[in-house]
Amino acid sequence: MIHFDEMACLLYLEGQLDPARSQELAAHVQECAPCRDLLHALQHETILLSSALTEDNETMPARLLSERTRSFPAWVWTLAFGAFAAGGYWFWNYGIGPWFDQLSNSGFGGTDMFSMIVFSGAFWEGWSDMIDAIQIGAAILLVILAIGWIRRRLRRSVAIAVILSALLFALALPQQAGAAEVRRGQSISVPAGETVHNDLIAAGSSVRIEGTVEGDVIAFTRDLTVTGHVTGDVIAFSQEAMIDGTVDGNVRVFSRGVILQGNVAKNVSAFGSSVDLISKANVGGGMIVLAGETDLDGKIQRDLLGLVGRTDLDGLIGGQVWIRGGSLVVASGAEIRGPATFEGREQPVVQSGAKLASPIHTEITQEVQRNRRSTGRVVVRAIFGYGGALLVGILLLVIFPGFFRATLREAGSIGLPIGVGALALIAGASLLVLGVLLIIIGIGAGVAAVMAYAPILYVAQVFVGTWLGDTIMGQPPAVTSAVVGRMAVGLLILRLAGLIPFLGGLVWLAVFLWGTGAVLLGFYRMSRVESAPSAPLPA
Amino acid sequence: MDARRHPEGMSPAEQAVAQERIALAKAGNAEAWGELYREYGPAIFRFCRRAMPTREDAEDATMDIFIKVRQKLSQYDASRPFSAWLYTVAANHCWDLLRRRKLRQDLETGEVENMPLEHPDPGQLEKLIEHRSGQEMRRALDKLPARSRMALVLRYYAEMSYDDIAATMGVRRTFVGVVLLRARHQLREILEGQGGAKLAAGGAT
Repeated sequence: MIHFDEMACLLYLEGQLDPARSQELAAHVQECAPCRDLLHALQHETILLSSALTEDNETMPARLLSERTRSFPAWVWTLAFGAFAAGGYWFWNYGIGPWFDQLSNSGFGGTDMFSMIVFSGAFWEGWSDMIDAIQIGAAILLVILAIGWIRRRLRRSVAIAVILSALLFALALPQQAGAAEVRRGQSISVPAGETVHNDLIAAGSSVRIEGTVEGDVIAFTRDLTVTGHVTGDVIAFSQEAMIDGTVDGNVRVFSRGVILQGNVAKNVSAFGSSVDLISKANVGGGMIVLAGETDLDGKIQRDLLGLVGRTDLDGLIGGQVWIRGGSLVVASGAEIRGPATFEGREQPVVQSGAKLASPIHTEITQEVQRNRRSTGRVVVRAIFGYGGALLVGILLLVIFPGFFRATLREAGSIGLPIGVGALALIAGASLLVLGVLLIIIGIGAGVAAVMAYAPILYVAQVFVGTWLGDTIMGQPPAVTSAVVGRMAVGLLILRLAGLIPFLGGLVWLAVFLWGTGAVLLGFYRMSRVESAPSAPLPA
Repeated sequence: MDARRHPEGMSPAEQAVAQERIALAKAGNAEAWGELYREYGPAIFRFCRRAMPTREDAEDATMDIFIKVRQKLSQYDASRPFSAWLYTVAANHCWDLLRRRKLRQDLETGEVENMPLEHPDPGQLEKLIEHRSGQEMRRALDKLPARSRMALVLRYYAEMSYDDIAATMGVRRTFVGVVLLRARHQLREILEGQGGAKLAAGGAT
């Protein structure tokens, strides 16, 4: 006798067999005991499966039933804001603060760096416009938030809208405040005799200012040459920049090569691979140099502040000098009227004939570095770093288990978080660049970007570490101690890998990108979850 | 139909009330939505609990499913049973999650189509499954690969049609039976391992 196979029996039981075959099977089963038994057994199995699956052995968790879900958004935003503020505080204290202190100690412009940048900034003519703009921006923000509040579905787009409007706001601002003349083209020139009665924003492969600009010059170019007269500031992003004319305001140049041989009434900030102050140059204020190498033969009436690989000084410094870098040569023609400090690897060379108000206060940094590299310190730092990260991780796990889980889950998909992390890095960098470009918002937005970024960067290792622990030791049962154990193992491995020279750097980079992406995705997920089962959940 | 799984499948009167409630929720009535959630939430949570590997996953999935349901409520066609539609949304969500997760490997291994189908001895099968408690079965189900577990949950918990299962899991309709049978075989193997009669293959051909 030909039997029906198990598949056919199952399909028959499930009512999935076509009628003809179904009848056939029904008839066959009448006569065939084994097939009948198989049918019965399968049916029994089905019943068993159904009842096992439906048995009410677990009730709905309180988290899903209570109204508490609604409070989720609050904590996510609070956490985000808290992280932001903490990062800001940290960044200010350890990042910007000392730098500013250093600057104001140097008596830079008589005020501190912040007010110098803000109140003599390129666009600062428009303080009142700025207030209007802020008010408009705030109003827009309120409207967006209100829309988001009323229409839940818009929620996801709110964040995007806020960011976009903030960016638009940032972009719109300089126009409101400055109303500058914009010139684009291959080569842009203001020939001798021509006067631009406005700020000038110039973008082109070469920019030459031979005439007069009654305002600021902002240039994006390969070659910038200023031989004329600029009554405001010169702000330039270029490959080569030469300032040979007269600038009544400040000069701020980001350029590979910077040559200054004119007269700058206020301060100079120069960032470049080489920065040269030719002997006939005169800077009425102070000068900040961040460069690979610099030759300073001209006159700087106030202070000099430098982070420079190699410095040759052969001119006049009216105020004090603070230089950090590789080497310093004070040539015979140099004169420093204020106190001078040098931090570097080599003793500064002071040639005979150089006039110094006092001997150069020197700190040799090499010793310090060698100390830092000593194994003992490295180990101690590694242990503290490990403990700190573990502590932060445990706190996160205990206080925000949902967020922790969500983020960890995101970390598991490797590619996506790394991509998001890289994007965030690019976005952060762009914001920073944007900040530098638009100096006023600039500082705010740039600092804000870093502020938000710093704590996320720190937390990144926790999630990558835990993921690593999970991967090695297997998915943990949902017990806190098990997760902590895996976190501890993962973090330890990360920390050890991070100690390897060179490779360690790459490890950290990967961890940062990966973890940052996971954290951002985790935030995103949580913000979605909370916007959810929404209002009228039964209590 | 089990009232716990398909709450609206009780009486015509109750069904009418449920439909009314759905219509209200569709129109944006928050109270009606709350009622719906209270009514169907536990069933969907249990569904997720069966389909997803951990309790946390199930909780998260339940929340996410109801977000989706709320957003998609306007797309619900009232001529279909609400619970069936709800399970479709839930199944799609869970399956999507599982697929995106690393569980991928076990989802894609196994050539479903070439599976050698053993013909078990009915007596042995009976022996294997008789006196099994629900808990034993659930423990065994938890050990199944995600794909197999999902198939069984869709069929024997959510009572989805073969068509819906095929659509959800992205397999051809003709293979739904194969997936289910294969899952049963895997389950039997696990049960064997947990102790029980050795299941001899090839009892009848």
